[in-house]
Amino acid sequence: MNEQSNTVSGLGEQLSTLSQDIWYLAPELTLVITILLLLGFDLLFKNNKNLGIFSLAISGLAFTFFVTIQSFDLASSVLSLFNGLVVFDQLGLVFRALFILAALMMLIMATRTDKLFSDFSRSSELVVLSVALILGASLMSMSVNLVMIYISIELVSISSYILTGLLNGKQKSEASLKYVLFGGVASAVMIYGMSWLYGFTGTLDISDGAFYSGLSEVATLPLSIALVMTIGGFVFKLGAFPFHIWSPDVYQAAPTPIVALFSLAPKLAALTILIRFVNEIPVELFDWKLWLGIIAIASMTVGNFSALWQKNAKRMMAYSSIAHAGFLLVGLLAYSESGNVALLFYASIYLVMNFAAFLLIQYFEKQGGSAELKKMRGLGLKMPWIGVLTVVVMVALTGLPPTAGFNAKLFIFSSLWEAWQIEGQPVLLWVFIFGLLNTVVALFYYLKIPYYLFFKKSENENSPITVNKIDLFWGTIFVLPLLILFFKADWLVGFLNSINFVL
Amino acid sequence: MIQGLLTYIIFTPLLAALIVLLLPKRFESTYRLIALVALGITMLLTLLAVTAFDGSASGPVDQESSLQMVEKTEWFSMELGSLGKFSVDYFLGADGINIAMLLLAAIVLFIGAIASWNIKQKKKGYFALYLLLSASVLGCFIALDFFLFYLFFELMLLPMYFLIGVWGGPRKEYAAIKFFIYTLVGSILILIVMIGLYNSVYDPVKTGLEHGITSVEQVQLAVESGEIKADEVVKTFNMIYMADQTNYIPGSLLAELDGGEVFGRSARWIAFLALLIGFAIKLPSFPFHTWLPIAHVEAPTPISVVLAGILLKVGGYGLIRTAFSFFPDSAFHYSWMIGFFGVFSILYGALNALAQKDIKKLIAYSSVSHMGFVLLGLAAMTVEGVSGAIYQMFSHGLIATMLFLIAGVLYDRTNDRLIENYSGLAHKLPRYTVVVGIAFFASLGLPGFSGFIAELLVLLGAFKSSSIIGAIPEWMPIVATIGLVLAAGYYLWTLQKMFLGKYWVKDSSWTEKLNDITTREYLMFVPLAALILWFGIFPDTLMNLINTSVESFVVLLNEATNR
Repeated sequence: MNEQSNTVSGLGEQLSTLSQDIWYLAPELTLVITILLLLGFDLLFKNNKNLGIFSLAISGLAFTFFVTIQSFDLASSVLSLFNGLVVFDQLGLVFRALFILAALMMLIMATRTDKLFSDFSRSSELVVLSVALILGASLMSMSVNLVMIYISIELVSISSYILTGLLNGKQKSEASLKYVLFGGVASAVMIYGMSWLYGFTGTLDISDGAFYSGLSEVATLPLSIALVMTIGGFVFKLGAFPFHIWSPDVYQAAPTPIVALFSLAPKLAALTILIRFVNEIPVELFDWKLWLGIIAIASMTVGNFSALWQKNAKRMMAYSSIAHAGFLLVGLLAYSESGNVALLFYASIYLVMNFAAFLLIQYFEKQGGSAELKKMRGLGLKMPWIGVLTVVVMVALTGLPPTAGFNAKLFIFSSLWEAWQIEGQPVLLWVFIFGLLNTVVALFYYLKIPYYLFFKKSENENSPITVNKIDLFWGTIFVLPLLILFFKADWLVGFLNSINFVL
Repeated sequence: MIQGLLTYIIFTPLLAALIVLLLPKRFESTYRLIALVALGITMLLTLLAVTAFDGSASGPVDQESSLQMVEKTEWFSMELGSLGKFSVDYFLGADGINIAMLLLAAIVLFIGAIASWNIKQKKKGYFALYLLLSASVLGCFIALDFFLFYLFFELMLLPMYFLIGVWGGPRKEYAAIKFFIYTLVGSILILIVMIGLYNSVYDPVKTGLEHGITSVEQVQLAVESGEIKADEVVKTFNMIYMADQTNYIPGSLLAELDGGEVFGRSARWIAFLALLIGFAIKLPSFPFHTWLPIAHVEAPTPISVVLAGILLKVGGYGLIRTAFSFFPDSAFHYSWMIGFFGVFSILYGALNALAQKDIKKLIAYSSVSHMGFVLLGLAAMTVEGVSGAIYQMFSHGLIATMLFLIAGVLYDRTNDRLIENYSGLAHKLPRYTVVVGIAFFASLGLPGFSGFIAELLVLLGAFKSSSIIGAIPEWMPIVATIGLVLAAGYYLWTLQKMFLGKYWVKDSSWTEKLNDITTREYLMFVPLAALILWFGIFPDTLMNLINTSVESFVVLLNEATNR
């Protein structure tokens, strides 16, 4: 299966390659089976389906997680599957494991809402679409073929559009429509850029030698146009500046667990595509470090400064995720021997802190009826433990000790510093300085939530709130890794170090 | 001598914070007792450490062998690709520079716990945060691994933010966020340099272990000659190693001889400036001081005490431990500027204090003025100057504690701190007036009080500087003395307006509330006054602790300027 040729050497041989290769996609297969089972279950039963749907989805995802972990040894060397459509390597597997974790956390979050949970019991659509989104993200994380990249991105996008607009509500339709329009334009631009690239090189496989040699013969201007258009599509999925405008509306409108998933899976998947893509393009040919550096600086700055004015916690988190897209790009810029561990560490911590933040916001949403900051007044004093957890998460998102958010930031910026020392590109230094100074801006808005929770007096002071024990449990479980991994960062890094990063 | 004494000092308050958190609300009345006992134990342990500390045994500040009570174990260590081994140590130790600060912190925190006795609302949160703050402040002074230091440094901010923001005065939210943002800007600058230093400094001992060489000198030679390549060394956050220029990887950005450039200037200069600004915000020095008055005015009394008494000193301590120790050549390069900002802060703070109507604000600005002496003493780069800077931090810690408690006494009774609203308090509150008199005279630098010794040393050192090392010109100490005159001005003026003359208060209902000092308040004022006098009359007590280290620190500075 390592040997591919573009000539048709017998249908039988091709089919046998396919059927051999398919087993490497076991995690994706289990996801597909989960989707089918869910749909079948949906058809068979009429009422009170939520228990069945959730147990099916959770067991399907847990099994997928197990299969993914089992595949690690298989991927000790990089395999190219399906005639170069996808690659099977450990980098992709780590990201897939993160996506599945994200989906599991999303389901846990969904059980903690009243409304969404009852929506789930009506039909399995939300769960099916979420699993489909994860499937798309998984495929994104292993694609090395332009068409495969496009299809997997579209799978994620279409699932996301529907997830945003599925539940009734004017705001949701508006957000969904905005999302579809922006997404459609981004896709169109991206595939236009890809068609240029195909025209230049005659191959769709970016890992093919012909791709590189074809590109090196093209004049700088058309090459830059094609690459900027293509990368623009990836940046859209990453949710970074200047393709970020859709996210605040979507984040505000969509149900909180879904938003948490949005803020994670598509972003990280886009990141893997970017990693694989820019890896094939030497900086001498096209200075992508400069472009991505500018995008990173702009994302961090625009995201953070826009977040300052927000009055809705979910909208604020949308801008925060734009800023974090910038930080993920920082990890990409520092991509080197040390940078990749730092980047994966950051991605893992980002997963935990984002889900923890949304879970806690969801609790407050349930109390106050909406995620408006002013509805959170005084809630921290009424639910002290949840309040303290929120402070920890916000500190982690800012990137301060004693949380793993600090380690994550420290590692990627250390790698960036090192990359700058070796390569001496001025843009890296600017990213370094802007990135760290942005922390100050970030602090200002992240602290707004604790500020409303603790400093502001609530309107009806005498109504005590009893917090559900299960809520406390999940809140603590989601937040605890942030503290543990600060004091014992080597546990996670040790695992990440064992990964073979050859692309 | 107890093993792991310094660890106990940090973890006693931390443990107490945990107990306060876990204890149910019906034991609310015991929280303050737990805090008091825990900080009492901490103080006793610190006294034990200070008595066990042998001042004459300290050696060069850039050698680990000169530390005492060292505790060093690996916290975590991991391979990070080409970044090499990312290792952080749990590294505590005492030398002459931090032992004085540790002692000060322990005393002030204990006094602060007494001052917190009357906190009425949300006691659990208050005492848990106060204890957490205590642990991080103590840790900040004795941590010698930059990562650990930074952890404690940042950990101070969060409790402080809530302590000001929840228990503070009318404009508490504004004060709290301003404090946090200002200090965070500083800590980000420090973080930038920390990352740079990590990439430039190696651990000769661990590198030796990796390469099978036991002698530190041989390792250093091997690295210098290129025998051990730059990517084969074990990098470190160790602040003691960072002070030794031979531990910088040749060719790395912050190396002394062949370091790189940033923005067309020596990277070491830039790094020094970043550290300088980072800690000058904390100190605070003009022009980064604007967070201080508002934070002081809004903070509850015990928190003002901790803020002025210890947190400001972290700034001065950080300058000595990091900026000046790591980049002595850059310090010399910028000494004129540092001295200038010191002098400017002295005058600017004093002039501002003259104009204040709120007694707490007056004290806050006088803090800015007095912290200016720390900068001036450091900029002088002489033994007297640096000793004076440390002495000033110690002495101001005690005096400012007393001053803020004084403001608190008045505020507790009448909820009003405007100077113009009182007159002739001496008739009504004679004992309070005596206490105020002692504190005011101590603060304005009357001989016999600790402030006099400190400021005298700084001025002496600053005068000698131009002839010995040439760091700052002679006009600076001359101008700085004007600050002393101004200090006498605002203190005596306040004393006259508020305490002398005919008894009068703005609101007649205050008269019955204005009771003289209680026993609890005596418990705070008497020891403080005694300590201030003691360190004014017997300066040797402190000097013996710090002398050797200061001398070797100055040698370090001198060597760098001669190179």
